[in-house]
Amino acid sequence: MTDFDPGRRRFLGHLGLAGLGALGAGSLLSACASSASGPAKSGGSGAVTIQSNLSSPQAKTAIEKLVENFNKLGKGTASVNTIASETFRTQLPTYLTSANPPDLYTWYAGSVANDYASKGLLLDVSDVWQGLGEYPQSLKTLSTDAGGKQVFVPMTNYWWGFFYRKSNFAKWGVQEPKTWADFLAVCETLKSKGVPPIGIGLGDTPWVASAWFDYLNIRINGAPFHRELLAGKQRFDDPKVKAVLTRWREVLPYFDPKGKAYPFQEATTALLAGKTGMFLIGTFFADAAPKDALGDLDFFRFPIIDPAVPVAEEAPTDGFFASAKSANPAGTKELLKYFASVEAQEEYVKSSSGIVLPVHPKAKAADSPLVTKGKAMLESAAELTQFFNRDSSDALQPTADTALTKFMDKPDQIDAILREWQASAEKVFKG
Amino acid sequence: MTDVSTIAETPGTTASTVAGAPRRRRRSNRLSPLLVAFVLVPFAVESIWVFWPALQGFWFSLTRWDGQTPPEFIGVNNYVELAGDATFRGALLNTVIWLVLFGGLSVVGGFGMALLLQKERRGVGFYRAALFTPVVFSLVVTALVWRVFYQPDGLADQILRTIGLEHLIRPWLADPQTALYAVILPALWRQIGYVMVLFLAGLKAIDPALHEAARMDGANGWQRLWYVTVPQLKGVNAVVLSVIVIDSLRSFDIVWSLTKGGPYHSSELLSTYMYSAAFQSLRLGYASAIAVVIFVLALAVILGYLVRAFREEA
Repeated sequence: MTDFDPGRRRFLGHLGLAGLGALGAGSLLSACASSASGPAKSGGSGAVTIQSNLSSPQAKTAIEKLVENFNKLGKGTASVNTIASETFRTQLPTYLTSANPPDLYTWYAGSVANDYASKGLLLDVSDVWQGLGEYPQSLKTLSTDAGGKQVFVPMTNYWWGFFYRKSNFAKWGVQEPKTWADFLAVCETLKSKGVPPIGIGLGDTPWVASAWFDYLNIRINGAPFHRELLAGKQRFDDPKVKAVLTRWREVLPYFDPKGKAYPFQEATTALLAGKTGMFLIGTFFADAAPKDALGDLDFFRFPIIDPAVPVAEEAPTDGFFASAKSANPAGTKELLKYFASVEAQEEYVKSSSGIVLPVHPKAKAADSPLVTKGKAMLESAAELTQFFNRDSSDALQPTADTALTKFMDKPDQIDAILREWQASAEKVFKG
Repeated sequence: MTDVSTIAETPGTTASTVAGAPRRRRRSNRLSPLLVAFVLVPFAVESIWVFWPALQGFWFSLTRWDGQTPPEFIGVNNYVELAGDATFRGALLNTVIWLVLFGGLSVVGGFGMALLLQKERRGVGFYRAALFTPVVFSLVVTALVWRVFYQPDGLADQILRTIGLEHLIRPWLADPQTALYAVILPALWRQIGYVMVLFLAGLKAIDPALHEAARMDGANGWQRLWYVTVPQLKGVNAVVLSVIVIDSLRSFDIVWSLTKGGPYHSSELLSTYMYSAAFQSLRLGYASAIAVVIFVLALAVILGYLVRAFREEA
């Protein structure tokens, strides 16, 4: 309770959260009560506090290493506070609205950051961006809020693709498909060999299905339509969205039936064990892969459906934003400048050992064929999208999870499902 | 009879506040300052931590609020929306199914086990302990164990395969037909042990002379169960009912850790729907309205029973 806010609104707010628990479910009370207690934080303008959701061991070590290096530079001191990512996600609004918030947060660029910026919660970091002339315009646009100021500093991104084991593709005698027709042919071949062609993991991680929706939408309707749809400017019951699910329906018979029941981590295991053929997933899945399997992994881009649509790829960008109420804005910006630098990003990529790409154009990515291929794919893309929740909001994500898992179970109810989706999305947009 | 005082003295149930207040008023012609302090201090603490937030919850249910900007009063709009919300209706129905199946079966199972295990025989302690062990585990741990049990090619599937019922195999937690029941099972597994202990305590308190007398009068086993044991357990029944209703309505952790209310809301309970409305959709006003419904439901069931219990006593 170190940062319990004496301000009336927040005070009532916390009590209100607790009230939900007291009224409804006693078991919720503890969860709600913890929302009132923020992170432990030392006040004053001394150390810059980083609230980090990088809780996997390597990523945690990497960010700690960066902070250690920053502290040696003599431009200020910083400390990291690592929070489990699910807790971090639900508590982030509370952190930002508390009276004495941590200074800097690991989070996502795009509409999520924009949303907080529109509420005046984020620090204007435009002067940090003045030093980032080498960064591509696309990243700057991504980090700019609706008011035209920069509120975000990116550090790394990664890509999504169809991952497979080279040895298995060779064994089954199939090649990377380039077009939708090729893709269907590969699926048919794998199925005839008794292997479920497409792996997925929706139990506990239903958001993985959104990757399919995102990709089919940007391949069929293009990235601008996709962004408008996710921003509430288009409707989910639009015939264009129906076309997405209709296309998806063509490959539903090729999905691993067990994928509904287990999370993406187990779908990864299934892919590596050759129990599924390929898996549309982000590079983070490889964190759980054994080292000897990594060399055998390869990926191909989501097949082209309409050659007339400019090719877009999902490249979720991770980085930092700062609290508008930071007690030490100057120190925070110094730290941001450091995170945006070539040496910091190369150091991060080296010690995190995950498959991530530094966003600084001059920073060298890890030296592996897989990473080189991923980097080339993103560089050749005409447009980049983030991911469903990052291009919309965490509040919209559950509506997609419901609609898409239901669609995969009951593909003959597309119209009804899209109507429901539109209705629940409207509720989220209205608040 | 002492049955009402049993309820009043059970800490932590809604019943204690409800049942305690009128009794205290009746007795209190002269209050000692110490007694006043003992009442008022906890009351003040409760007011800050329970009553005030609860009232706040009612107020929030009349607002639109995202937890970041100030709440905005919208009258009964949230309740109007609830009435037309198919997910809410599904969650309500599931909560009723949960109340009946989870509540009913844990009473039947718990009572049955208590009857079986009430006699002191050799090794009976082991069975009691075994049945009570699940209560000791955190529900989240229980969920982890059961998830392994339910997973594709997991123990459940292997058992079915061994006994030749392969055609029944399905993704238990991911199939909307089975998800809710697959979650009720582990909840029951835990609750039966708990209810058994409550009934065991009640059975121990029955005067053996009553059974002796009934036997002398020629009552058979069933008659003694129905006309001696069950009426004697009236006090325990009130406790069990309160525990069951409250536990049913607050069942959250096991559902959340096994299915999160999915797939597509098919195992959604009011409690999980409230949580996802509040902390995933960030619609705290709407979530408060769901919380109020849960509160009213719990109150209705428990008050209904208490009113009857009071009437019988009067």
